[in-house]
Amino acid sequence: MVKIGVMGLTGCSGCQCEILNCEDAIYKLLGKVEFSYFPLAQDSNSFEEFDVLFVEGSVTTDLDEEKVRKGREISKILVAIGSCACYGGVQSQRNDEVTIEEMLKEVYGTTELSVKVSKPKAVSEIVKVDYELPGCPLDKRQFVYTVAFLLNGVRPFFPKTPVCHECKLSETECLTLKGIPCQGPITFAGCGAPCTISGVGCQGCRGDCDFPNYEEMVSILKKNGLSEGDAFRFIKVFRGKQAQDGISKLISRGALNEKGA
Amino acid sequence: MKKELNINHLTRVEGHGAVNIVFENERLKEIKLKFTEGPRFFEYITRERLYTEIPKIVSRICGICYVSHRLASISAIEDAFGAKVTPEIELLRKLLVVGEYLESHALHLYFLALPDYMGYPSTLAMAKDYPNVVKRGFLLKDVGNKIMKLIGGKTIHGENILPGGFKSVPSKEQLQKVQDDLYKVIPEIKATISLFDSFEYPKFNEKYPLSLCIDGDSFTLMGDNLALSDGTLFTKKEYELFVEEKTSTYSTAKYSTVKGKPFLIGPLSRINYHLDNLRSETKEVVSLLETSFPSDNSLHANVARAVEMLELALEGIEITQMLINSYPFKGEVEVKPKAGTGYGVKEAPRGTLYHKYTFDESGRCVSANIITPTAQLQAIIEKDLGDLVELSLDADDAELRKRAEMLIRAYDP
Repeated sequence: MVKIGVMGLTGCSGCQCEILNCEDAIYKLLGKVEFSYFPLAQDSNSFEEFDVLFVEGSVTTDLDEEKVRKGREISKILVAIGSCACYGGVQSQRNDEVTIEEMLKEVYGTTELSVKVSKPKAVSEIVKVDYELPGCPLDKRQFVYTVAFLLNGVRPFFPKTPVCHECKLSETECLTLKGIPCQGPITFAGCGAPCTISGVGCQGCRGDCDFPNYEEMVSILKKNGLSEGDAFRFIKVFRGKQAQDGISKLISRGALNEKGA
Repeated sequence: MKKELNINHLTRVEGHGAVNIVFENERLKEIKLKFTEGPRFFEYITRERLYTEIPKIVSRICGICYVSHRLASISAIEDAFGAKVTPEIELLRKLLVVGEYLESHALHLYFLALPDYMGYPSTLAMAKDYPNVVKRGFLLKDVGNKIMKLIGGKTIHGENILPGGFKSVPSKEQLQKVQDDLYKVIPEIKATISLFDSFEYPKFNEKYPLSLCIDGDSFTLMGDNLALSDGTLFTKKEYELFVEEKTSTYSTAKYSTVKGKPFLIGPLSRINYHLDNLRSETKEVVSLLETSFPSDNSLHANVARAVEMLELALEGIEITQMLINSYPFKGEVEVKPKAGTGYGVKEAPRGTLYHKYTFDESGRCVSANIITPTAQLQAIIEKDLGDLVELSLDADDAELRKRAEMLIRAYDP
């Protein structure tokens, strides 16, 4: 039996729930794999060794860090699932704007919590990550494919084309052309573009596609009614460090003004 | 003599929790329920963000009850801007909540709670011996998920749920399909009620000091007024005056009390309060149960959840019919930002939640306050655990641990 673990750090458990939503596939997988660690779903959990460990959530507390380091040590393959584990997620969107002390004071009235807290980080900032399945939540088909690929000794690979590609395939009318703020041009496809199909602009929850053109993206968002500062903040929601680095590069190059306009 | 009992990792609950029970001279000295979940600063990361970003961000507070957080924030935003949506939009939102509850309650009952009562470590482990029961759990979850996907755009964190309504709405045929699905699951829900009613629920806790839920003439999960079990009524604007939040020294969840007392929220509080407001078909089913409501037994929350599923599936059937009858309708009204403060309350599957936002004239968030069910449940769960220990002095450690876990799980914290 192939030993699989599903571990949650700081997050909303949405990705773990999405795994439980893979109903039929889970049934079929149960013959070939064993969930030896999945505390959300079961009592008897062994944290000894894994063929594949899926990690959800950002590294925010000292406990998170301890768990993920131990998890890495005892796993052959470690897969970060969801945008918190891959990029830091929504909780990291102001990492470049404020200090952790400021956030703690404002929300809890004290910097002393029962756990030691630091700025939310992606798992890859702490340990080596073999594969990333981003998204908020992760795409459940990609979870099943990843398990199936690994069972057959194939490296999971999902091309980092932009969401625009999916809209072409599903013949969805371009929202950017309709004046709706949409991050499709700079966002990693693979979700099937459910948001644009509903008429809502892509919110960028899966992070960057290959070669994202932030400069052009910001200028299109400005044309579609956002101020430069709002455009930055819109792009930053899920991408964590990825966007913070991308935007600060543009600012230092002088291609864009300062944030907060 | 001092003795400690620790449950370090609570399993089959969402999030990370631990319990620490201290005895001194064979008497209970102290109980601490510790949530070690890392903080995520939602009240701070929403700042300076446009109102259009808020529902998306706060959706991520909870992957199971995201619909509730989204709708509470939307209701607060519309309150701040004085926006009014159409009756059809309200119906669609209610239908979305039907989907949320079917999914969340099925997940809790079948996947988190059931193994305790059937004597298995997990539901997946039950699949061989009880394939039909497990399949029923998956089916109910699936119907709920389909409704959320259809209206929200995605099963989890659907982005089509927005201030002002929805960018797109389901077709008549799709609504008909939802109605057919709901008709089909009614017998499955009734079987769920019988199943959970058939278990033994030893009483581990004393009477609740207080309970809280949204008030209304009918069984309702959204509204502007709240009711306490002592007869006090208050408005959503007064929420912070009644529900006092403190930062805990040992848990990352805050600690809330009402009038200085721990209070109950969630399915049991709602069913106890709205018992006479249920649809006649639900009332009839309830009247035939072994479990009698109103109840002061925390474990009966499981039966209350199953009863809520029936009430909501019946409501869903009515809603789909009303929407089909008023087809075609507009899914969206215009929302114009203005400076001000707005409030939103909503019954999430596990209990009442509260969102408050202040916006500047361009609709950017200046400040936010969010009170989650988990924070409000901390005090009552600790009180229950205290009662449990006092009533279980004959039990050994393993038994005590098992009872404590069952009790905590019944709250679905």
